[in-house]
Amino acid sequence: MNFKKILIIYKKELLDLFRDRRTVITSLVLPIVLYPLLMIGFSSMMSRQEMKLEQQQMLIYLNDNILDETSIRIESELQNIENLQIMPKIDFYDETPLYELLKDKSIQAVVDLKDSLSSTGYQVLIAKIIYDETSERSSKTYRKISDKLFEIENELVGERLQEIKINEEILTAIELKKENIAPPAQMLGFALGKFLPYLLIILTISSAAVVSSDLVAGEKERKTLETILVSAARRNELVIGKYLTIITITIITVLLNLFSMYLSFHHIFSQYQTDAGGLQLPIGNFALILVLMIPLVTLFSALLLSISTYSRNIKEAQSYQMPVLFGGIMLSMVSFLPGFELSFGFALIPIVNFSLLIRNIMLGSFELSHLFIVVSSTIILDIIAIYISIRLFNCESVLFRTAEEKSLKFWGKDKKNVFTPQFGFLFFIVMLLALFYIGGKWQTENLINGLIRTELLIILLPTILILRISKSDIKKTLRLNQTNPLNFILIILLAFPILVLVGLLMQMINIIFPIPESYMESFNNLIQDITIWKSLFVIALLPGICEEVFFRGYIINVFRKQGIWKSIIITAVLFGIFHLDPFRMVPVTLLGIWMGYLLFKTNSILIPIFAHFANNSLALLIGRFADKMPYFEKILKDGEFPFWWGIPAILIFVFLLKIFAKINDKSCFNALELE
Amino acid sequence: MIEVKNLTKVFIQKNGEELYAVNNLSFTAERGEIVVLLGVNGAGKTTAMRMLSTVLQPFSGTASVEGFDIISNPQQVRSNLGFLSGDTGLYARLTAREVITYFGHLYDVEPSNIKIRIQEISNLLDMDDFLDKKVDFLSTGMRQKVSIARSIIHDPPVMIFDEPTAGLDILTAKNIVDFIHRCKNDGKCVLFSTHIMREAERIADKIVMIHEGKVLAEGTWQEFKQETGLNDLDDIFIHFVNRIKDEEIVNEF
Ligand SMILES: Nc1ncnc2c1ncn2[C@@H]1O[C@H](COP(=O)(O)OP(=O)(O)O)[C@@H](O)[C@H]1O
Ligand SMILES: [Mg+2]
Repeated sequence: MNFKKILIIYKKELLDLFRDRRTVITSLVLPIVLYPLLMIGFSSMMSRQEMKLEQQQMLIYLNDNILDETSIRIESELQNIENLQIMPKIDFYDETPLYELLKDKSIQAVVDLKDSLSSTGYQVLIAKIIYDETSERSSKTYRKISDKLFEIENELVGERLQEIKINEEILTAIELKKENIAPPAQMLGFALGKFLPYLLIILTISSAAVVSSDLVAGEKERKTLETILVSAARRNELVIGKYLTIITITIITVLLNLFSMYLSFHHIFSQYQTDAGGLQLPIGNFALILVLMIPLVTLFSALLLSISTYSRNIKEAQSYQMPVLFGGIMLSMVSFLPGFELSFGFALIPIVNFSLLIRNIMLGSFELSHLFIVVSSTIILDIIAIYISIRLFNCESVLFRTAEEKSLKFWGKDKKNVFTPQFGFLFFIVMLLALFYIGGKWQTENLINGLIRTELLIILLPTILILRISKSDIKKTLRLNQTNPLNFILIILLAFPILVLVGLLMQMINIIFPIPESYMESFNNLIQDITIWKSLFVIALLPGICEEVFFRGYIINVFRKQGIWKSIIITAVLFGIFHLDPFRMVPVTLLGIWMGYLLFKTNSILIPIFAHFANNSLALLIGRFADKMPYFEKILKDGEFPFWWGIPAILIFVFLLKIFAKINDKSCFNALELE
Repeated sequence: MIEVKNLTKVFIQKNGEELYAVNNLSFTAERGEIVVLLGVNGAGKTTAMRMLSTVLQPFSGTASVEGFDIISNPQQVRSNLGFLSGDTGLYARLTAREVITYFGHLYDVEPSNIKIRIQEISNLLDMDDFLDKKVDFLSTGMRQKVSIARSIIHDPPVMIFDEPTAGLDILTAKNIVDFIHRCKNDGKCVLFSTHIMREAERIADKIVMIHEGKVLAEGTWQEFKQETGLNDLDDIFIHFVNRIKDEEIVNEF
């Protein structure tokens, strides 16, 4: 490789890109104008909001049932509160109209004064404040009134003590002093820390995306790629020159982003200096973030360069980049979420790790060990990604992909064919949305009822309808075939080692990504609350039938052309996604593979249905009756298996699997492959 | 010179079937000679030329350019080659001079020589007026000249033209044809592909007819006419296509 030539390519690409309006706008102009605009908008909104709150008139109703010296004193003191007015007295029979007034926000609070006597003979005045916590104005009124009442109370108590000649100080056993340990800069860092990673990562990826799509897919589109391929430059020189170009532009984007961010914050806070107490952002943090962004930038550049190399034109490249952009946006959003802290596990997930790390840096508290893991894991991914993009660039079938006549028809050739991957995906996504929106709503209203309705109406019914519409032979499609009765016994036996293995897997996942406890509890509560028969029905039988009919009955057939194992695995991954639970995604996908294997091995959907049922009920029953089994109680109660159980579990599983394979010897696997 | 020996290229198609885009192709092209690859669309002309320019790897067989093997010495092959095809583009945001200079660098031409070469070529092709204009603003004819300049900046002994006149008007096409003759006079070895019989007749010293990747016939028009007894170019071509089909049928039995 010739470094001089790389430099020539690099220089030319930069020159070319800087003459491109699209690059200049997304990479250079946008970051420079975005932050000042954001800041100006933000600060003017804030000050407007504050002024509005300050100047807002507060109207209250005072219901004085006492009308003695003290209560009149209270009334006049309340009237002294700035911007506060007391409504003229009206005769009410009861308080209902007052509540109405509060609700429609025509008044902000009602103060009700009553009289009572304490056992000591002194008067105790009861002041009830009725207000609306959800209204900012009403809450503020409440605070002002209660502060004032405290003040009056202190004065009154002081007067009483003086009467009996006791020093007022005797009342102060504890003197409360508040000091908020979050210094203003940290408070700001907290707010910024949440937003900054998100913005930074998105602008980085989108800048890299624009540039990289231009560099290879763009050259294909403009028919210039071949001219450089036939030149005396080597492929590796070309790809590295282009790669460096993407990195350079993207780093410039990051730099401009950070710099512009820094300047605009600085500007705003120096304006606020007097009342904000000298808020400043250490420039050191920005510098550290800039350095840290380099591995992420290089990773994304390599990834997007690969996509661009694979694509035939810019439009295609952009459509392939979409998922990367969306994924990046989703993952970088974790910094918004409360409760997500950078841990060993999270430090290994790209983007999530940067998002959390940058947040921690902004908060001024990060661990060097985390920083080290984040950077080194990204560098490893980086090397892989760069290697792949260089390989792709050297691969002629990728570089010269021919146009394929792709028809985006969901209905295959004949109109009623629902067994195309496109239609299958579409159907799956509709189901997923229905599950999320409708099923979720049903389940929050009433969990058990909602689960039953979800399984039957969202999962089973549409699947059956689709199969009916397609006029396919339902019995044949679903593989509703008889099977060896021995299989049922084997499935029950197999459920035990599977339970242990899945449990162990969950434990390992839990070590890397601790599962929130509240999450486990809600699941346990679900099992505890209802009768055993009902829970077996809801958690084992229904899902067994409905989900298997959907996945192993319909979805798996959609991918049959892809080959047996591919169809099993794709279906299993969709099955995993369908459970809408990141923590159980992996085990559920593995179970999905198991179900798919059972289906094709026995050529009967009854077996996966039964296995689904058996696995779920076993887990349920053990959770239920753990306390009745003295030896296992401790182990099972906490759902923790000793790790050595894994070995016998695997042995038993393999042993049973061998028997299973033997029984179903005339497996339809081979026959299916030829189908 | 170019020597092609049993060059074969197989593409795996979408339906999994193999496609012999170039099948056992052999021919030679000497210095000062214009050899025309003649074949209909999809005959395998571009694929063959791409293998010669080392953009694609052959499935089997090989070829050499100026004595350098395309498989073991692709770098030298490309250095000795100028490649121009009808549908190549240019960098629209660069000026003509920038484009040509860039390719000069890529072809390892000395920076001081690049300037001199650009001036020479510019005089030759009458490009002075638009050398410093952005390609975006140039007419098709001007762009074609920039493309030519780009492909000969390193003064290669071998030139490959893949249907360079496709889609051009007569005047622009004539520029190219003139240029090809000039290459020949300069003693360069020229390989030219086209699907237009008349064009082949006009400029070829030797014609290699290919169809479905295979050589149909090799020689001059005169030889073809004598061999077939036919006078019309199209008829001759069809004659050869039918002959190879008959042979295939015989071979199957
Ligand atoms: N990258 C490729 N992948 C698959 N098939 C290709 C590829 N490039 C060309 N072909 C096929 O090879 C055959 C020869 O194409 P080509 O060499 O472009 O023909 P010509 O230039 O003579 O028109 C055509 O059938 C074409 O479809
Ligand atoms: Mg062609």
